[in-house]
Amino acid sequence: MRNLLNFIIRSSSWLYAIVLVAFGFYLVFSHNSYQRSVYLTSANTITGWLYNTSSSVRTYFYLSKNNKELLERNAKLESELYALKALLHREDSLGTTAFALDSVKPAQFRFIPAEVSNMSFSAMNNYMTLNKGLADGVKPDMGVISQRGVVGVVFKASEHFSVVIPIINAKFRLSAKLKNSENYGSLSWDGSDMYKAQLQELPKHEVYQEGDTVLTSFSRIFPKGLVIGVVSGQAKSQNDSFNSFDVKLATNFYTIQDVLVIDDSYYSEQNQLEQSTRQ
Amino acid sequence: MKASVIYEIILSAVLILLQVLLLNQISIFGIGTPILYIYFLVKLPMGSNRFYVITLSFIVGFVIDIFLNTPGMNATATTIVAAFRKPLMNLFFSKDDEFENFVPGIYRSSGAFVRFAVTMVLLHQSLLFFIGSFTFFNLTNTLTRIGASALITLVLIFAIDSLMYKKAASES
Repeated sequence: MRNLLNFIIRSSSWLYAIVLVAFGFYLVFSHNSYQRSVYLTSANTITGWLYNTSSSVRTYFYLSKNNKELLERNAKLESELYALKALLHREDSLGTTAFALDSVKPAQFRFIPAEVSNMSFSAMNNYMTLNKGLADGVKPDMGVISQRGVVGVVFKASEHFSVVIPIINAKFRLSAKLKNSENYGSLSWDGSDMYKAQLQELPKHEVYQEGDTVLTSFSRIFPKGLVIGVVSGQAKSQNDSFNSFDVKLATNFYTIQDVLVIDDSYYSEQNQLEQSTRQ
Repeated sequence: MKASVIYEIILSAVLILLQVLLLNQISIFGIGTPILYIYFLVKLPMGSNRFYVITLSFIVGFVIDIFLNTPGMNATATTIVAAFRKPLMNLFFSKDDEFENFVPGIYRSSGAFVRFAVTMVLLHQSLLFFIGSFTFFNLTNTLTRIGASALITLVLIFAIDSLMYKKAASES
């Protein structure tokens, strides 16, 4: 007994360290449970504010580049607008009422513009913080896109901030397909290259050419047919009966500044329906 | 004693801010990120209370985790490194250096300091990577990342340590 007490006193600092390490591992392993408090993420008020302040300084460095991208986007949208107007005009001259404005259904998707206030690179667990939160309508499980393509999925949201799991996080999964094919596979990231993700579990007979566009497939989070990237080559397959490609991502995570959060008005309805069938 | 504790806490806070606001935005060739905040642990005096060292390390790691959304990862890695700090110091620094307020520095005992810093950083990086992924799936990739990150971190540590020494020398 005396020896035991002596041992405990002598190695108390080691025991203390072991207790703290055990607590640390508890935090690591309980991370995925959904009930975890938002205060322990970068969406909490203090960290969010800090990231936002530093990003408001950093944005200035990208002003001209962003401006150029916006102009390009604007030009593209304008040309689409003219095309649609022309179409509308033609239909009008036929005397139809099919395009009367108030008979148009409210759109399924609404886009919430947000700024990236932080992007942290730490090996496999990269995260992104946005400056919009619950107050602006951003909720967990909403999709996030940039002007170029898919970015990620909202993981947690606080009142004014939200944390996004981007494609370049080992936890990210998305079903995707090639533009000219109906077979779909699973998109994930192997952690080796910030510009490339892997499209896996495609049928063996699937043929591709470098530069083929990769689009979103069935997903409750993203609309169908959003650009993810382009095929850049064959990847090592983990399973012989499937085919894997490298996908060069459309989004550049080093310079990303402005994103859109997708608010799908049918999301909860579809979710409930699917949940109820599962029981 | 009191003043040195305040200095150490301020150093830790500055390193945390530097880490989350600047260094974690950097990813050199997509493989290496400098993890500089471990520097505070390298610079604590040799005679520091071990409970104090371990507690401070846990808190620093925990705050970093909150910013990077990696609960427990940095806290665990830093606490383990803090626990092994004293044995490592005994291993690398000679008995002559061993007095209460001895602070490891690049000019004081260059060879020993470099070996000590390299060991601490490599240990910390390896722990971070293996706690972060819990897999040896892609061993070459993981080792490249650990090596690259450790290298950048060490270059920064030695650079900052040289600068701080010069500043201290010119003031005295």
